[in-house]
Amino acid sequence: MITDLRGLTLKTPIISASGTYGYNNEFDVFCDVKNIGAVVTKAVTLAPRAGNDWQRIFEVPGGLINSIGLENVGIEKFLEEKLPVLKSENIEFIVNIAGSTLDEYLQLARICDKNSIKAIELNLSCPNVKSGCLEFGTDEDALYEVVSGVRQEFSGYLAAKLTPNVTSIEKIAAAAEKAGANAVSAINTVKALGLKLQYVNGEFKKEFVHGGLSGRTVKPVALSCVNRISKAVSIPVIGMGGIYCLDDVLEFFSVGAEAVQVGTANFTHPDICEKLANDLEEFMQKNGFTQLDELKCKLREEVI
Amino acid sequence: MKKIHKGIVKTIKEAAKNTVYMSFEPENPMEIKPGQFISILCGGLTLRRPFSAADFDGKEIAILFRRKGKGTNYLSGLKPGSEIDFIGALGNGFDVVDKKSLIIGAGIGIAPVSYLKKKLDSGILVGAFMSKDEAPQGISFDEIITNDGSAGKKGSILDHLENLIDNYKPEIIYACGPAVVLRAVGEAAQRHGADSQLAMEKVMACGIGVCKGCVIKVKRGGEINNMTVCSDGPVFRGSEVLWE
Repeated sequence: MITDLRGLTLKTPIISASGTYGYNNEFDVFCDVKNIGAVVTKAVTLAPRAGNDWQRIFEVPGGLINSIGLENVGIEKFLEEKLPVLKSENIEFIVNIAGSTLDEYLQLARICDKNSIKAIELNLSCPNVKSGCLEFGTDEDALYEVVSGVRQEFSGYLAAKLTPNVTSIEKIAAAAEKAGANAVSAINTVKALGLKLQYVNGEFKKEFVHGGLSGRTVKPVALSCVNRISKAVSIPVIGMGGIYCLDDVLEFFSVGAEAVQVGTANFTHPDICEKLANDLEEFMQKNGFTQLDELKCKLREEVI
Repeated sequence: MKKIHKGIVKTIKEAAKNTVYMSFEPENPMEIKPGQFISILCGGLTLRRPFSAADFDGKEIAILFRRKGKGTNYLSGLKPGSEIDFIGALGNGFDVVDKKSLIIGAGIGIAPVSYLKKKLDSGILVGAFMSKDEAPQGISFDEIITNDGSAGKKGSILDHLENLIDNYKPEIIYACGPAVVLRAVGEAAQRHGADSQLAMEKVMACGIGVCKGCVIKVKRGGEINNMTVCSDGPVFRGSEVLWE
């Protein structure tokens, strides 16, 4: 199931999403990681980050809200400790990088380039001090500046991961394309508030998490975003959001995704990436599709 | 061997008020130590539910749980012969040391320490519950404490902690229970020059330390770092935990 993302070739279109799969082969305890299309690493920042202090996970019907706060080891330790494992284990990978300023993105891109990293994914949903606490991913101009800046520093495959927390994600995607991204990944988590009230001894006890919603419940939002983005750009779209089974994968292909990422489902079914890759291959063989493109064309015959 | 398994429920029964005992046999043989846990897929819920081993006879793993929410309600509806999907064994168990031990289980925290007790040559097992009917059957307690005085000593474990330590003079205290109890146990142990090993709990997603959803702050070697309850724990030394 050779997947051609125009500049990046994967053995299957099933990719693990950032933040749900660790840095390298951690999920080998559940499946064979080298059999999946690629691992997108946990977001790596310039300096190590301890993340948020309060409760980080809040389950809701059909999904979960997370507020990890980008806890990670930092790029230096990533290169020293995590990257060698990816290489020695022959795992295809995409390094997800996150900055809090334009300069941090540029430095990270330069470091990745210098270390011959083949592919990066820009996490563009982090607080941006420079453009007045907006997020890079929510402002076309700020996003264009980051992506085009990174493009100049990094010669490998560049994917921009977009947030759905905008009015028009297709406009943001078009800005990423114009800035020189090779692909866009969508969607990141949906801004959400998990809240639980308990009335105890005459007082309301509140348990809450402000964070990003993911899981089955976001799939319709994700499908709509991918559908709109695909019509607005000509670069490949890597679709994600609530993928739990083969039908979900096919739905994303049908609205224009060239590959998919699986995130929250890794927590529910930790062998799901490998399983989906197998299921897809089986479906194609059984139904006489020899190329992935053939299947995608069939799925896109009726335009949604 | 991969850490994702199927298992068949062997026994499921009420062990105490609103408390279920469930044992199951993994399809492939596996080991689980006291303090380690498994995480069970509960119907269509996004997150698996983690449970410490409450017993293990080399074949069947037993867990104990309170019926509290969607996950535990799902599990309590299973029958002997039902198939479960679980991951494990996860986490590091108790570091079983040959020292004079006090073993404290508060509420459903009794689960991992009752299994631990079986692995220790000696040790005083203390169960602390709201009332007698919450104490699971089939566990031999050396001491029982109940808030309402319906069994053993009356009061909370916090009221009796100092006395227990004075009476039994443990070199190490193992404990599992609510954070407020674990904190008190850790601090009391330190005051009395004893070690403590505390089995912690936190909502977790991945179970193997990658998502960083269940971190606590831990002080080791003069440095404060995040550690995951699921993978670095769930057992931590009381002297190293920085409480929220």
